[in-house]
Amino acid sequence: MPTISINVNDLAQLLGRGGTAEPLTAERIEAWFPLVKGELKDLDSETGEMRVELHDSNRPDLWSCEGIARQIRIKLEGTARPYPFFKSTPRPKRRLTVGSGLERVRPYVAACTAVGYPVTESGLAQLIQIQEKLADIFGRKRRTISIGFYRLPAIVFPVAYALVKPDEARFTPLGFEEKMSLREILSVHPKGLEYGPIIAGHDMVPLLRDDEGQILSLPPIINSREIGEVRVGDRELFVEVTGTDLTMVLLTLNILAVNLADRGATIEAVEVAYPAATAFGKTVRTPFDLAKPRPVPIKTIEAALGQPIAPDEIRQALLAYGYEASVSRDKGSVSVKLPPYRNDLMHAVDVVEDVAISRGYGAFTPVMPSQFTVGGLSRLEQVSDRIRDLMVGLGFQEILSNILASRLELVERMRLAGSEWDRTVEVDNPMSLTYACLRQWITPSLLRVEAASTRAFYPHRLFEVGEVAVPDAADELGARSVTVLGTLIAHAHANFSETHSYLDLLLFYLDRPYTLEPISHPSFLDGRAGRIVSNGRPIGLIGELHPEVLEHWQIGMPSVVFELEVDALVERTKEMVDG
Amino acid sequence: MDPSSLISSLHPLEIKVLTALSQQRPPAGLREDQIAQTAGLELSQLSMAVEWLLAKSLIRVDAEKVTPVVSLTKIGERYFEKYSPVERVLSAIRGAGQTGKRLTIQDIQSREGLEPTEMSGAVGCLKKEGAIRIVPGGYVEATGAPSQTAEALRTLFGLLRVAPKELPTFSESMRRVIMQHAVKRGNANEPFRIDDRVERWYALTPQGEEAARALAQQSHAEDVSQLSPELLKDGAWRTARFRKYTISLRPPRLAAGKRHPYREFLDLVKNKLVSMGFQEMRGSLIETEFWNMDALYMPQFHPARAIHDVYFVKDPAHARSIAEPFLTRVAAAHQNGGDTGSTGWGYDYDRKRARRLVLRSQGTAVSARTMAAGPMVPGKYFSIARCFRYDQVDATHATDFFQVEGIVLGHDITFRTLLGLLDLFAREMAQAKESRFLPAYFPFTEPSVELHVRHPRLGWIELGGAGLFRPEVTLPLGVDVPVIAWGLGLDRMAMVALGIHDIRDLFTSNLEMIRTTRAHF
Repeated sequence: MPTISINVNDLAQLLGRGGTAEPLTAERIEAWFPLVKGELKDLDSETGEMRVELHDSNRPDLWSCEGIARQIRIKLEGTARPYPFFKSTPRPKRRLTVGSGLERVRPYVAACTAVGYPVTESGLAQLIQIQEKLADIFGRKRRTISIGFYRLPAIVFPVAYALVKPDEARFTPLGFEEKMSLREILSVHPKGLEYGPIIAGHDMVPLLRDDEGQILSLPPIINSREIGEVRVGDRELFVEVTGTDLTMVLLTLNILAVNLADRGATIEAVEVAYPAATAFGKTVRTPFDLAKPRPVPIKTIEAALGQPIAPDEIRQALLAYGYEASVSRDKGSVSVKLPPYRNDLMHAVDVVEDVAISRGYGAFTPVMPSQFTVGGLSRLEQVSDRIRDLMVGLGFQEILSNILASRLELVERMRLAGSEWDRTVEVDNPMSLTYACLRQWITPSLLRVEAASTRAFYPHRLFEVGEVAVPDAADELGARSVTVLGTLIAHAHANFSETHSYLDLLLFYLDRPYTLEPISHPSFLDGRAGRIVSNGRPIGLIGELHPEVLEHWQIGMPSVVFELEVDALVERTKEMVDG
Repeated sequence: MDPSSLISSLHPLEIKVLTALSQQRPPAGLREDQIAQTAGLELSQLSMAVEWLLAKSLIRVDAEKVTPVVSLTKIGERYFEKYSPVERVLSAIRGAGQTGKRLTIQDIQSREGLEPTEMSGAVGCLKKEGAIRIVPGGYVEATGAPSQTAEALRTLFGLLRVAPKELPTFSESMRRVIMQHAVKRGNANEPFRIDDRVERWYALTPQGEEAARALAQQSHAEDVSQLSPELLKDGAWRTARFRKYTISLRPPRLAAGKRHPYREFLDLVKNKLVSMGFQEMRGSLIETEFWNMDALYMPQFHPARAIHDVYFVKDPAHARSIAEPFLTRVAAAHQNGGDTGSTGWGYDYDRKRARRLVLRSQGTAVSARTMAAGPMVPGKYFSIARCFRYDQVDATHATDFFQVEGIVLGHDITFRTLLGLLDLFAREMAQAKESRFLPAYFPFTEPSVELHVRHPRLGWIELGGAGLFRPEVTLPLGVDVPVIAWGLGLDRMAMVALGIHDIRDLFTSNLEMIRTTRAHF
């Protein structure tokens, strides 16, 4: 979720508390932040700069100083100020025409003008920041939406959004001195290299041009330097959003429009004319209010919040959170409508949360769930705990390891490459080869400890009860997660007989008769390894580790191990309990 | 210390040494080996006792003599068996002379396999003694004169092989050969080594004489250090004198059988949850995207589902199927809300993507499975689930980690009971007397809450997140009562309890650290 930088003075100004009002303290600001699900990361008391993390990924309207101030101001004033430019009249003076063929590349555009707000230093910083955050996070790195700001006086309307051949047009992009063809921009300009892939794969690219053929920008790549570079002091702006999802394009423009309006600009709509009908018509007046009134039963709200609330209190809470709201004549429901800069109402529960936030979570008295339940551990955990107790009693130190490991540790160092035991669950997109496989047995985890601990005094007796992943084509997930006990003994005289004694004692206490069957396993010395078999079923391995394995791990002590499947022991326990 | 307690604290070895020294008539110093012989001790035992007695000022060094002692090095031992370069060069030249062959220095060096330095050393020595000469053409001949060095070396190897000998016992010419062929700084490849042997004579101090007199007056009963079954059986313990121990010494270390400190912490959490009426759930390390995310109403285009957030399984990449009716119902909830009363996310749900296998990235996947499996109502469940995130491993990010999370189902579940449960967690899990609730965001809950508590040692911390599952989550899984979803972030508390600062140390491979970490709960 985005972390943004805002300035305390800018926030105070937008809250209408500039000038002589007492300065905002961190405490004061933090007390408001629950309203915006914001977290104050830090505040520089000298410059007033603060970093804020916004937690709600469905509320891009809050990712700016204007948005944060708006939500707080509505709460302080009890109701939202109207934004008249969302009305469907009068017909806009300015038009933007959409050419054909764009539906295959980047179909949608929305635009408006903002006049009468001289762009300030901090206003410009916020403009650039919201443009980046919305396009990056909400717009998935400009893939679904991208944004452009321009100097309005330079533009002759109507503006055309159309496809052109990459060699047909040239302009000077931001950050460069000379004119370049679109193809050059895509292959040379840093933004062309970064975002070019979004519109690659077509022989034409989208371009915004005015009526005199002046190029505004190559969306979603870069603006023209002449028209598309907004500077401090500019009083008249043209704003556009292009993208692949009309709802998101419209919502983004709405957010930008209300932000500029909050800074004092007069917003005028632009009429966007498509070659064919969209979900919102063939011509769309933008900014465009997406929200529709929706009834929410009072009972639903009360049931979710766990207490009766008067319908008018619900209405007041929603008004103070920016909604339009009215109570039905029978007082059974409240008709709600989101403000035009939001589009996150999927279910009545979304309204419930906003009521709670508006009233403050502190306004609700906690009550304990009253219904009785019985607690308990799974049988697997019970048996695991018994085994852990016994191993501790036998003098073993418990180990806790990461489950992700490397093929080197799990297979190659264990001399298993190419053998029937060379099977692990591998990660398709590992961040590093060190963590690329799920362990298929515990012994490598214990060897990792042994290898790192040659200076810890001996003897070493280690165990871990933990999960491993065993590839299994018969399993619906392609692998079984199995809980396994692994043990390792390392000291100058460690041998098979010693570890066998521990295994024997453990299985005696677990009341589990067993036999050892000789096994030829590459990790162990031949003739000193066995499969632990119980009720005709293999449940583990025991043996003296092969000197080459120890050499691979750079371990200088004889080491012996045994492993037992705890899941197999659980079944036995269950049989006994069941009779 | 008064004499009687001094005496009773003496070790048996010390008593033997004191007694041996006091038996000298007239009193005089004794050399170490003489003391050992008189007292019947091994030299190693003696040196221990002497050290202790010196520290107690009961004996003193009476005289000291330093003698250089010659011994064979490993190389010397090899030369004894395989002959030294001097001997080999000489015998090679003499042998060649007898058969009429003529050899150059290079011939000899390669025939004998000698190093250049060995060769030049041997030739230089033999030439100086006049045993060989070099004639025109670079050939080497024997003169017929004997080589004192070769003969001396042979004698010395034979002698020293048996035992080291004191340097002064050798004649001057022998000493010269020894010094020439002894290990020196910068030249370790020599057959002889000269070490200083220090001999010391010890005598009793006045206190030592006093102690010895006191000892002599005592019964001759043997000092006992270890009570034994034999002493108990034959009753000899009645007359035995038990040596007093110096109990202030550090004891030897033990290797304990012990739970892992982080496991101890997790056991505590587990027991706490059981005591509050929670039933444990278990799940799989590998999950489908469906159970890991779709069932939790995270849209398939959600930013946290990208390649850089979750680990995908290589092979097989997909599960064979997703159980119905869950797949169809969840797909509908995503697309248009289905029967949940929601608008849904409004996108084309990809059923193949739902089968994509991932490493479980959140414990909530276990809760989703539990809800689909027909949980008890009312019911409380928890899991301590190993989860995997695509994160660079550092002091605050582990490759895999435990998530403590769960659900509470019931007809009485509301926003207020959610707060009540979190209050309980604050008290029971963090011993916090103060807590506060902040609005939060999770894709699968609404309303959502962050629980912040004032921890007795950490101050205000975020202890966990929770909320009421969205109907888009519960209804498709067949649950028609409200459900609390909760998760606790306990790693910081665990790290404080264990006194560590790096999250990787929770899973450390350092046995010494595991053995010495103490949990402070």
